[in-house]
Amino acid sequence: MTQLESVQQTGLDFGELVRRHQSMVFSVCRHFLHDRDQAEDVAQEVFLGLHRNLESIQSEAHAGHWLRKVAVQRSIDAGRRRQRRPQVALADVAEPAAETAVRDPMLGETLRRLIATLPETPRMVMVLRYQEDLEPAEIGQVMEMPVATVKSHLQRSLALLREKLARRGVREERWIG
Amino acid sequence: MKTWRTLTLALGLAAALSAQQFKFNLDHLAAKASDTVDLSLNGATLQFAAKFLDSKDPDESKVKKLIAGLDGIYIRTFEFKRAGEWTEADLEVIRKQLRSPEWSRIVGVKSSQDGETDEIYMRNENKKITGLAILAAEPKEITVVHIAGPVDLDSLAELGGHLGIPKVEIGKQK
Amino acid sequence: MDRLEQELKAALGRKDPPAGFAERVLREAARAPARGTALPQRNRPWPRWLAAAAAVVLCAGAGLGYRQYRGEVARQQVMQAFRIASVKVNHIQTHVREVER
Repeated sequence: MTQLESVQQTGLDFGELVRRHQSMVFSVCRHFLHDRDQAEDVAQEVFLGLHRNLESIQSEAHAGHWLRKVAVQRSIDAGRRRQRRPQVALADVAEPAAETAVRDPMLGETLRRLIATLPETPRMVMVLRYQEDLEPAEIGQVMEMPVATVKSHLQRSLALLREKLARRGVREERWIG
Repeated sequence: MKTWRTLTLALGLAAALSAQQFKFNLDHLAAKASDTVDLSLNGATLQFAAKFLDSKDPDESKVKKLIAGLDGIYIRTFEFKRAGEWTEADLEVIRKQLRSPEWSRIVGVKSSQDGETDEIYMRNENKKITGLAILAAEPKEITVVHIAGPVDLDSLAELGGHLGIPKVEIGKQK
Repeated sequence: MDRLEQELKAALGRKDPPAGFAERVLREAARAPARGTALPQRNRPWPRWLAAAAAVVLCAGAGLGYRQYRGEVARQQVMQAFRIASVKVNHIQTHVREVER
């Protein structure tokens, strides 16, 4: 059987692929959907898709790229199946009563919630950039969009985040390295 | 979820079950199950089937090697639409029989989170393996596998990666 | 990378999925054979009943006897039995590994 032979030749072990890439896949789904349960469901779908297509995977590296791409697609699809508006509304992201003079310990959660309020395309661009550390060209390949568009999304999203953080009393100059 | 059809041997293939080393006693679950699998293949049936396995097919060739010398394979699987259709007492009926001196439990895992119980027993006679029993129970499914004869557990696990089963790395047996 | 980007990297760091995730995936995958790696059948990945019916027709049409038909049925049942047994063994081994962690 040709398909079995290809799996044998590459020596790909599905269980090992799951263990190796589960954090990456889950995190893409989690940070995009901002819903742990839904992220787990989507992540499982991604791996089951890999299992169904295992014979077409040529190497470990290929599997990683495949998983990332499908995680992105499935997360976006899942987000669209929900209501159009993001699950986290800007109003839900708390504003401090006064200007923050020291580092906000909840900053990480604030940022994650702000990311969740972005429209789906720039949201996923941000996840791939800052979770996966992908360069804009790599993001462009995964999301099948021009590099210039990726960079544009990054710039506008960062500007938007700075503005939202400033409105919440976090001084802008703090964000300049 | 994959639907299992009820399969029973027909055409006289289900001969005497004398090779069975313990009784399943699970027929009462069939009435409650949404799907069942019932496979009873004694030694004669296995040797007959072996003649029709293709040695050139890698999967069938492995199975052909595995069944050489076996006295029988007996499998019952019950799937239920909801949890709570089977009880520990149902499993205990089988476990009691596997507490005889010839049998020893080599694996026993219970997960309260998933409600899952998995056990593997080996039968030893004169320092030789003469049987294998697997009990796998989840809230909505029970599977009992009994292989009578000199079965190689590692070879059985090695079938993972073939027969449409994802290959899982084999850990050391306890 | 400016300070905001550094904070974003920290905020969006990878998170492990809930405990038992890999095991659940493997269990679900075991229920659904990979494409092209389904139960080995001599012909196409047809439903088993259809393959069996086709075997009957073929056997009858080719003038093969009752014995050949019985052999085909026995072969399919043996392969199914081993599929079930090996899936369970692998599943249990995965379960053991998850518990050992």
